[in-house]
Order: sequence, then structure tokens, then C-alpha cells
Amino acid sequence: MTATPIIIDCDPGIDDAIAILTAFVSPELEILGIAPVCGNQPLERTVRNALQICELGERSDIPVFAGCFRPLFRDPIYGQFHGESGLGNTVLADPIKTVEETSAVDFLIKSCEAAATSGRKITLCTLGPLTNVAVALRMKPAIAEGIERIVMMGGAFREAGNRTMTSEFNILADPHAAHIVFSTDIPIVAVSLDATHQVILTPEHTEKFSGSAGRIAKPLGEMMAFWDRNDVRRYGSRGGPLHDPLVIAYVLAPHLFETQKARVFVEHESELCMGQTIADWYGKSGKEPNVEIVTEVDAKGVYDLFLDRLSRYALEEVR
Amino acid sequence: MSPHRIIIDTDPGVDDAIAILLALASPEVELLGISVVAGNVPLEATLANACKIISLSGCVDVPVYAGAHGPLVREQVYGKYAHIGAFSDALVPPANVRPQEEHAVDFIVRVTRQAAADNDPITICAIGPLTNLALALVQHPDVARGIRQIVSMGGAFTALGHRTPWAEYNIYADPHAAQIVYSSGVPVVVMPLDMTFQALITEKNIAVIGENAGAAGAAIAGLLRTFDRSDMQRFGRPGGPVHDATTIAWLLEPEIFEGRAASVGVQVSGKTAGYTYADFYGKTGLPMNATVMNDIDEARFLEMLEERLSIYGARALKEVSG
Repeated sequence: MTATPIIIDCDPGIDDAIAILTAFVSPELEILGIAPVCGNQPLERTVRNALQICELGERSDIPVFAGCFRPLFRDPIYGQFHGESGLGNTVLADPIKTVEETSAVDFLIKSCEAAATSGRKITLCTLGPLTNVAVALRMKPAIAEGIERIVMMGGAFREAGNRTMTSEFNILADPHAAHIVFSTDIPIVAVSLDATHQVILTPEHTEKFSGSAGRIAKPLGEMMAFWDRNDVRRYGSRGGPLHDPLVIAYVLAPHLFETQKARVFVEHESELCMGQTIADWYGKSGKEPNVEIVTEVDAKGVYDLFLDRLSRYALEEVR
Repeated sequence: MSPHRIIIDTDPGVDDAIAILLALASPEVELLGISVVAGNVPLEATLANACKIISLSGCVDVPVYAGAHGPLVREQVYGKYAHIGAFSDALVPPANVRPQEEHAVDFIVRVTRQAAADNDPITICAIGPLTNLALALVQHPDVARGIRQIVSMGGAFTALGHRTPWAEYNIYADPHAAQIVYSSGVPVVVMPLDMTFQALITEKNIAVIGENAGAAGAAIAGLLRTFDRSDMQRFGRPGGPVHDATTIAWLLEPEIFEGRAASVGVQVSGKTAGYTYADFYGKTGLPMNATVMNDIDEARFLEMLEERLSIYGARALKEVSG
């Protein structure tokens, strides 16, 4: 079996870190590069965190490309649950690995152009605001030909928002970029809060995952513990939703997810509802559905998948 | 004085052509490159036109870069003279230059970041929708640091719009990009319709340029005569505006313009999307991000076009006489 070529566009971020560390030990995936963007933290920080995560996972072979330093149109907002560094209280060594000269936008364009030519199309895994992807698409619309699909953590459909009443953070942080991406004909899988709120990383899971994660056990356990929202009223238990890792889980094991197809629109004009994602479940808009929205997650299956993957860090050979 | 190092970001366009030819006729200006954007006509046509203008000027070393195919967020609208499409070979001879491989946005990012590193920022004359510039500005903070000023043909304040009653075309075509550029922290010199409507080129000027300015003059005269820009009802006298050329004229002779500091912003959505507002009196408390030109010495501007463009005639004569 040939590996699926992916690019991880992200804003690490604790849950990004867990997603990336999972991807590192999944031979089904060929990670062409990591493209941090301004999001949970300012760009400088998300780049540094991405470099540190590569070193933590012993995957310094994967290039990291710095993305856009601000959202397209709105002032930047940052995440609220990732601590000062973006990785909670976890202290990782200063990275030796350095960021590539090429920008994330140029990396996306060149990779997708090459993929369009070769026919080996790329899956974009987006874990942060969509600024890099939107800028690349506006510069070179033809790169859509090289994208197999976008599997995105973003949006909230039947769930309420997590940053505002209506809106999920990644979309709210750059609603114009999200609008650009959702206005293309690229196939999209949306892992929204509807999905991620079905998979809560409880303290019990944290203990189990980190306990089996070998040489990354300590930092992984710290980050997971920091992730606990301690909001039983919203999430039904202690713990935090496993947002970004579900994107990697979807690419690895789509059978654990149920989806429903709909056209998706992004509110980018109203301040009250800024960043709201609206699904046309019943064909009211007259537009073709373009997004597979994850509606149901086999949470047990997903926990087992992560346990299997993260425990590979206890093996001598990572890959 | 060292010349102004500039990039012209453009969607040619008849008045774009005059702006580019004026810049290339002026030793005070060093044109680093032409970044092309969709606007007046689709990108394929603006790009073809840019290559034709560069060929016509004889300055074939000036690189031309293809940029954005359309606006950031809104749906695409073309200019009032969209039916021009690509300039016909009868009006402007075929091009002998080709666009570069590099994308216009990458070109702007590369040149401005280098300018920031060298502490020698450049000027950008933006005479089309501002999509390319916006896409460059979000990519790295050094892009803004590498730009001394943006001379932007765009907007309408006390004048009514020309594309819609409330909006000037370049802003209307991509209001989000305009707002990104105007709020980027780079000082903006705005050339709005209020001012450009005051300087109308007439048949008398066109005849002089057509006669004295060689092949460039013939093409300009042909374009201006084919696509008559006059509007008696609006201007009350014969002649048509040459909007884009005012950006270059301001670099050459700023003293023939009058302007005022203002805080300028763009309405990006709703019925009046593309509307530009200027706060001259600090009512909003927002930073004075722009100088808005409200007056131009029409006679001097037209004389400048006649004088400067005649160099193309002189250059042609020199070539003939060896």
C-alpha cells in the first residue's frame, strides 16, 4: 500500500501537537511538510512549537514552513486553552531544527502544482485558521487540481460555538479565509465541534495514553492534563475535546466516522455571528453540497486508535 | 537625488498604459517590475496588455509578473471599459516580452522583504484592484516594512463614484483587499476621483502626444480615440480623466497636487460595498493613515504628459539616425 501524501497546516497548540505526534507514527501517511499559521498563538510561537514537536517525535526529517503571520482581514485572536507557550506548561528543549526558507504558501502552491502534474493528489489536513490555504488558492486557483481533499478541524453546525456563541475558533480567527476555502469545489471533510465534542479526553484516557507513550510519556501527559477544561456542564465529564487529532484519525480510519453531505456557508459580515458555519442540510440554497460534515464518531474506536498509535513511542523503532 | 524605486501594480487598461509609459519616460523613476492583477479586464487580458505596453516602451528588461485572477472575497466585477479586453494589434503592436515565471505576489514579497533588510523601502503605485498587495501584506511583516508608501489610485470622497454611485472601480472590485492595504500601517497617498476628475485630457493633447511620442504616442492616441473617456454630462466640458497616470505624476511633481491627511477606510459589505470614507477632522480617533489628494494643476499635468511622453518620439528618431 502506498502512503497517503498529506500536508499538515496547523497552529500548535496542544491538540495540534497530539495530532502531529499521532501522524508521525502512522506509516499510512507521508507527511510532505508542516505549515504553521497564526492561530492559537502568534506565528513565531506556532513555528517554534512545530519545530519542537518534530524533535520530540524524532521526525526532524519533516520540513516546517512558516505561514501567514496574520489573518487575511480581521485582527488576530489567539487561543485560550493552550497556555502561554501554546503547549501548556510543557517545557521542551529549544529547537535545533530550523524553519525552511520557503514560505508555507509557496510550499502549498508548489506541492499542489506538482501533485496536479503527477496525479498523486495531496490531502490537506488543516488544524488551524485557513489563511495559508486561502492565500495559496487566491494566488493560484489551479492548485485545487492537486488537492485530493481538505480534512479540516473547524466549524460548529448543530453544536454552539466554542469561542463565541455561534462560532468555532479556527473559522472565527479567519472567516474570510474560511469563506474562500468553502467557496471552492475542492472536496472537504469538516471535523467540527459536532464531532469533536463526542470524543472527550478524560483524565482516565490521559493517564492511559501517556502511560503507554514511552519516551514522549511525560510531555504528552502534561499537555493532555493541561487540556482538561474542567467543564462538566458542557462536556459531560472532566477533560477536553480531542479536536485536531480527529482529523488525523479520520484520514487513518474513516470507517469510525459518519458524515452527511451539505453545502457550507461562512458568515463573514455580521459581527454578532462572525465565523458561524451554516450547513444547507436540506438543499435550500440551490447549491451543490461540497462538504462531508462528520455527524457521528465511534469514540471507542477512536480512543483505541490513539492508544495503538501513541504506544508506538514505547517501541524501539518509531516507524 | 536617487530615483524612486517603484513597482506598478496594475490591471491595464488604457489609463494604466499611460501611467506605465509615463514612468518609463522618467529618469526620476526606476521601475522594478510590473505586477498584474485582474480588474478592468480578466487577468489573461491585463497580462497581455502589460506585456504589450512594456514592448511598446522599448524597456524590455522591465519584468512583468502575473498576479491574482480575481478578488479576495466578493464576486468578480470588471471595469466600465471591459469590452476592450486585450488591446488589438491594430491599436498596440504585438508584444515581444513574456511574463516571468514568478508569481506577482511572490515578486512583491521578495522585493519588499529585501528592501526592508536593506532599510531602503520602495514605493508601490497601485492602479488596479489591491488584491496582489493584500495577498503580499499578510504573508510577512517585512512586506509592510519594505514599502515606503503606496500611491493608490482609488476611492471617491466628495465626488460620487463612477462604477456605482458610491464607489470607485478599483476599490469596488476588491473592497477587502483595499481595506487590508489601507490599514496595513504603510502610508497611503490616495488619488481619488475627486482629484482625477479635475484633469481631463482633450483631443488637443491627444493630437500632440500622437504626433510627438512615436509608436507609444500613436498607441495612446489610438486607445484614447477608440475608447472615448469624455462625459459631457458629468464633466460639463470635453475631455476625459487619466486616473492612473496621476500616481506617477505625483512622484514626479508633487507640488502640482494638493492633499490633506485623513483616516481612510473602506465599506466592505452590504449595499454600499466599496464606499470609501475619509475622516479629515479626527472624529473617529483612528490613525491618519492616508493623504487624500483633492486638487491637481490640470494644465501642468497635461503639459507633463505631452512633454514626458515625447521622449518615445525622440528615442525612435535616435534609433533611426543610429
